[in-house]
Amino acid sequence: MSQLTFETINTTVLDTLSRPGKAYWCIIALLFCGVIMGASCWAYQIFVGVGVAGMNTPVHWGTYLINFVFWVGIAHSGTLISAILFLFRAGWRNPIARAAETMTVFAVCIAGLFPFIHLGRVWLVFYMLPLPNQRTLWPNFQSPLIFDVIAISTYLTVSSLFWYTGLLPDLAIIRDRSQGVRKKIFKVLSLGWSGRTGQWMNYSRAYLLFAGLATPLVISVHSVVSWDFALSVIPGWHTTIFAPYFVAGAIHSGLAMVLTLSIPLRKMLKYEALITMDVLESIAKTIVFTGIIVGFSYATELFIAWYSHNSIEMETFWWRAFGHYAPEYWIMVICNTVIPLLYLSKKIRTHVIPLFIISIFVNIGMWYERFVIIAGSVAHDFLPNAWGHYRPTWVEGGIMVGAFCLFFFLFLLFVKHLPSVSMTEMKEMIHKTE
Amino acid sequence: MNTDAIIVTGLYNTQEETLAAVEKIQEKGFEVTEVHSPIPSNALARALGRKKSRIGWFTLTGGLIGFFSGFALAVFTSTRWNLIVSGKPILSWIPFFVIAFEFTILFAVLGNVLGIVTQVGLPDPNYEKNYDPECSGSLYGIEVASTPEDADSLRDLLHRTGSLKKQRETK
Repeated sequence: MSQLTFETINTTVLDTLSRPGKAYWCIIALLFCGVIMGASCWAYQIFVGVGVAGMNTPVHWGTYLINFVFWVGIAHSGTLISAILFLFRAGWRNPIARAAETMTVFAVCIAGLFPFIHLGRVWLVFYMLPLPNQRTLWPNFQSPLIFDVIAISTYLTVSSLFWYTGLLPDLAIIRDRSQGVRKKIFKVLSLGWSGRTGQWMNYSRAYLLFAGLATPLVISVHSVVSWDFALSVIPGWHTTIFAPYFVAGAIHSGLAMVLTLSIPLRKMLKYEALITMDVLESIAKTIVFTGIIVGFSYATELFIAWYSHNSIEMETFWWRAFGHYAPEYWIMVICNTVIPLLYLSKKIRTHVIPLFIISIFVNIGMWYERFVIIAGSVAHDFLPNAWGHYRPTWVEGGIMVGAFCLFFFLFLLFVKHLPSVSMTEMKEMIHKTE
Repeated sequence: MNTDAIIVTGLYNTQEETLAAVEKIQEKGFEVTEVHSPIPSNALARALGRKKSRIGWFTLTGGLIGFFSGFALAVFTSTRWNLIVSGKPILSWIPFFVIAFEFTILFAVLGNVLGIVTQVGLPDPNYEKNYDPECSGSLYGIEVASTPEDADSLRDLLHRTGSLKKQRETK
């Protein structure tokens, strides 16, 4: 880090915005095909009806809501890195903050799509908005589902504005080093930023307030998401632990996704001098910490079920571990709590390949966690005659693959068109350490 | 500032050089009208006597408006359908607090953005006046006002304080 100068930071980051090669466009095209495939599956569902998905009695909340919770979770660590670690003055966040914030914005957009898809009749989506219908019926603000609409739309607005505000000084750097149409575009985007002392003073205060506001917001958003489940009476859902359990899980999955994105990004854009092994190691250590919290939450759930002596709760958790969805349950436990412990070994957490592979396992584990919680609980609730199983169909699979393609498609477009490392924050960091 | 004044911009490599130069320029009786820098600096803001940012007031006002409008929206919409369902009260304060909280954050952030627009002065279509593009990347630029008669001594002073050869002049 000590050999970095303001100029080398500019050069390293601006070099990434050069004209991409054929391989880049081939990957973009491939991902775009995936997006079209997902969109086609959704279109098919709209024309034929939501019955083409595997959701049926008793499991009416399937992969669409599993993916919704998964993507909201992914979004959360972006805010953790950009806002919470900013407030704690954790210097290692600076090289990855921009990529994490961008990940947040794209992940919230994708998460927001899934309730639309889940609705079936998507044209009735305006029923969720605070608008009166023909019988002057308004949304019910006592419902956690409406909390969710308000929370997610607030989160999308706040994270987009936070992201754009952070980009302003960097957009000015690109503007000042561009020619022609590109200069014109960045002139508009940078809003005439000129780094005057007064501008910086107000900007720094505004950025601090953004971080201060985003921190309680991010905790509230995933708490609200957890209340979609916890405020019902379904066994396995109706527990007070859900809000902190979901927040910890969200940060766990998001940090893993940051590693999944940062490692190839570092290689592809030659960011080794900026995103150092120390930075990746710090993320890995935080994953160990969040993994332990998640593991503790799993144990607490089991303890609550046993200690309550509530036979239905006990049956639900016994069935989770040894019933129809036992493989999914054990994938969840092993991937989220056991495998991340490998990061305790310095040898593992300082090599990119094991770092990357373990991050993929955590992503898989966190997807299965949502599957176990959502589908597993409603499949096996109070009445044995109402028990049943859920299996996603090819339509749900296609939409899910399409969503992943859309995320990576947007992220790849971003890294070649906007600065994926915050030049300003990197300069502030080296200025402080000098 | 005199209407005939010219602005000379001196460019410096580091924040420390810039701070020392600002002090010397002010000692010699010249007016430092602005400093452009690639990163924020509290020391530079203090040296130029900048007042504390007022953005927090915009944020606070936004937050208060959001809190009360969130509650008001939930109360108003609930009273439009005055029918008790499942024994739940028409006005349920605890669930409404969640709505009020989210609105508090949303409006506080919108207030913050309004603060940026008004206090930071964005968008600024005339940003290029007296601005050297090097200042966004790595250099610090000190804008100093001078009469045409004192311009030579100012240029000399900037040079002696370590200003790089490149000096911009604008009227």
